[in-house]
Amino acid sequence: MTPLAVQNHQPFSTGDIPILPVKEFEESLRGELLTQARMIGLFGLESKGQETTVIAVLARPLKSAIDLIGTKFSSAKNSYKTFADIFPQTHYFECELAENHQIIPEGHPWLRPVRKQTICGQELYSPYRMEGEEVHEVAVGPIHAGVIEPGHFRFQCHGELVYHLEIILGYQHRGIEKLLLKASPYQQNILCESIAGDTVIGHSMAYALAVEALSNTSVSLRTQVLRAISEELERIAMHISGLVGIANDIGYAIGSASYGRLRTLVINSTALLCGSRYGRGFIVPGGLQFDPTEQLINAMKENLQVVYDDVRAINEVMFGSSSVLGRLDHTGTVEKEWAQSVGMVGPAARACGLDTDTRSQFPYGAYKYTHLPLITLSSCDVFARARIRALEIEESFRFIFDQLENLPSSSIRNQLDSILSDSGVVSLTEGWRGEIAHCAFTDSNGAWKRYKIKDPSFNNWYGLGLALRSEAISDFPLCNKSFDLSYSGHDL
Amino acid sequence: MALRILQGLLPFLFILGLSPLLVGLINKQKALLTGRTGAPIWQPYYELIRLSRKETIYAKTASFVSRLAPVVVFSAVLIAGFMLPVGYTRPLLSFNGDIVVFAYLLGLARFFQIIGAMDIGSSFEGMGAAREATFAVFAEPIYFFTIGSLAFVSGYTSLYEIYLSIRLDNPSSLVFIIVSSISAFFLMVTECSRMPVDDPNTHLELTMIHEVMILDNSGVDLFLYQYSSYIKIMIYGIYEVLFFNPFGMQNQWLGFSLFIVLLLLLSTIVAWVETMIARLKMKNVPQYLLFATAIGILDLLIYTFVK
Repeated sequence: MTPLAVQNHQPFSTGDIPILPVKEFEESLRGELLTQARMIGLFGLESKGQETTVIAVLARPLKSAIDLIGTKFSSAKNSYKTFADIFPQTHYFECELAENHQIIPEGHPWLRPVRKQTICGQELYSPYRMEGEEVHEVAVGPIHAGVIEPGHFRFQCHGELVYHLEIILGYQHRGIEKLLLKASPYQQNILCESIAGDTVIGHSMAYALAVEALSNTSVSLRTQVLRAISEELERIAMHISGLVGIANDIGYAIGSASYGRLRTLVINSTALLCGSRYGRGFIVPGGLQFDPTEQLINAMKENLQVVYDDVRAINEVMFGSSSVLGRLDHTGTVEKEWAQSVGMVGPAARACGLDTDTRSQFPYGAYKYTHLPLITLSSCDVFARARIRALEIEESFRFIFDQLENLPSSSIRNQLDSILSDSGVVSLTEGWRGEIAHCAFTDSNGAWKRYKIKDPSFNNWYGLGLALRSEAISDFPLCNKSFDLSYSGHDL
Repeated sequence: MALRILQGLLPFLFILGLSPLLVGLINKQKALLTGRTGAPIWQPYYELIRLSRKETIYAKTASFVSRLAPVVVFSAVLIAGFMLPVGYTRPLLSFNGDIVVFAYLLGLARFFQIIGAMDIGSSFEGMGAAREATFAVFAEPIYFFTIGSLAFVSGYTSLYEIYLSIRLDNPSSLVFIIVSSISAFFLMVTECSRMPVDDPNTHLELTMIHEVMILDNSGVDLFLYQYSSYIKIMIYGIYEVLFFNPFGMQNQWLGFSLFIVLLLLLSTIVAWVETMIARLKMKNVPQYLLFATAIGILDLLIYTFVK
């Protein structure tokens, strides 16, 4: 049976998802994965009595389609044959499913908790450990030096060389998916803005688009363009912030000082749009909260022009400095094949030569009408991840200047219709860190039945572990910063 | 008599009193170069005062080594400092063969710092100690090749006499000055944990060398460690600057003024390097140090040709 194929932000009736017996589900999913589908979700939709319905969501970038396929597990038969032994990209999704619904992937190579301390009723999880006289273990965190989120890193080292890095997260688990089911629509918007504090626009956009799709609400062109501008502003600000971090970690003071100064101007431009430097309260289902005046737009243009000119100058200095290049080159390399097989997304994947970009593969909003060039690099190291930020910053600026030149004029807010009952939607957006997926399902009253969120960090944390293989332990902070992943986005 | 007492007091006051100022100057210039206002140049003094007032806490696993190490480090570094002439004056300690004692007093300080770090038993400090020990192996030859070749040329084995023997009328001295000051600069950044070998400003334990070794120290112990690291910068600064001393040797006051100017210039160079240059990959540090050693060997080659 063929899976249900939908487009990004296309609502569908939950009943249309084929629910197969476990055996056929396995085969079908295996077939999908064999034909280059990328998993973006594997989660329980609902539990009725003894039965749990599980949905697998897969992205098919070449067709710009999203495939959905489901199965039912009962408490008597709560296991399936794992996919992770052949397709490492499903590894973490299977762990998540096992943790949340006690559905066991048989033969899973590395069943470990995602956000909790135990999995499937097993005893307290203890991380992978290397034995040997000269091997030593370094444990870092969850409390770190400096102001960052909590996460625990376990290194298995031989001298300076790292053999294995295990990343243990979950300290920020707030139960956002459950909170969303109970919250009022106003609260939901705020909750989605708080999934990851540095991806406010990305997540609130995914949420708004999901709600709009399910209520068949169309938004005006001006809204779409302004949303895209705010998303690119967030991308610029966070990419600059990433470059600050990278320059700081390699002790390149002139770089960190210059980029640091510019980020403020960018987030101040976001503040001109909506009063919040992080874009809180700008995007709401149905449109926008604020309509910028001509005067504000001009002030924004002026700000951004300054940043654009300066950023290009500093990019040239930083990426022309031999000492910087010597530090970044061949540090933290993730082979392209590895990146693909573990399902990395966003700039980190593009730095490995993978062309994953939701804006061009599953276009939405203003990106349907204006094409942003997809940049990939092939060196797969920290240099590539830094350079791709610099390049994307410049492209985003061009996009913003283009759009600001001929901003369409129309209203910015439409009334929402009532939300479809027994329906679902997959909402993909490209946050600055990569693909954000919100899978929303409604019950017979049009209230949320399940709201599944996947932050790009969920895909990429494993990539960071791979980047550290056979790398010096002193390079960890730099590699970590080059990925710049979210702890709270992962932990939800 | 009074003059001699004054001359004896000068290095003491200079090294103890002004070494925090040199660090303050470097930090201030670094801030200015990156467009910041920066902390006042007196900040290192405030830090020292703050630390001296704090309570000293020891880890449960710490033995007597942890208590002993800071004192030994501080005294060894200070005594080494007294072997260097400040400006033109004769140093407090000067005898034949003190170039070796100087090196191994600093070696003793390093040794105690390393075992002090290992004593706590934390994996971070163990890593820092291992790095310090490894890089010391590469740093030591730099010292002996630069000052050692000068000792060969002059035939003296005391630091003061070696520096005095550098004469402008000897054209080979000029080459020595240039070549030695380059490798001495490399030695300085390594020994004082500055860029591009170590980053004094980082907060990342995994990348630190010097800073990670003193993570578990507090109060007076940390005061002693910090003070000795300031003094070390002063010592290596003097060590470097004295190569240029012959330009002012003819006149004592001119020599002293030149000495001060050169120290200030050196602080600017250090600040500039720290601003404009990224840190080396840890695995490339030995190469960097071997390069400086190679320059030192060049010194010896020059000597054999000149002779």
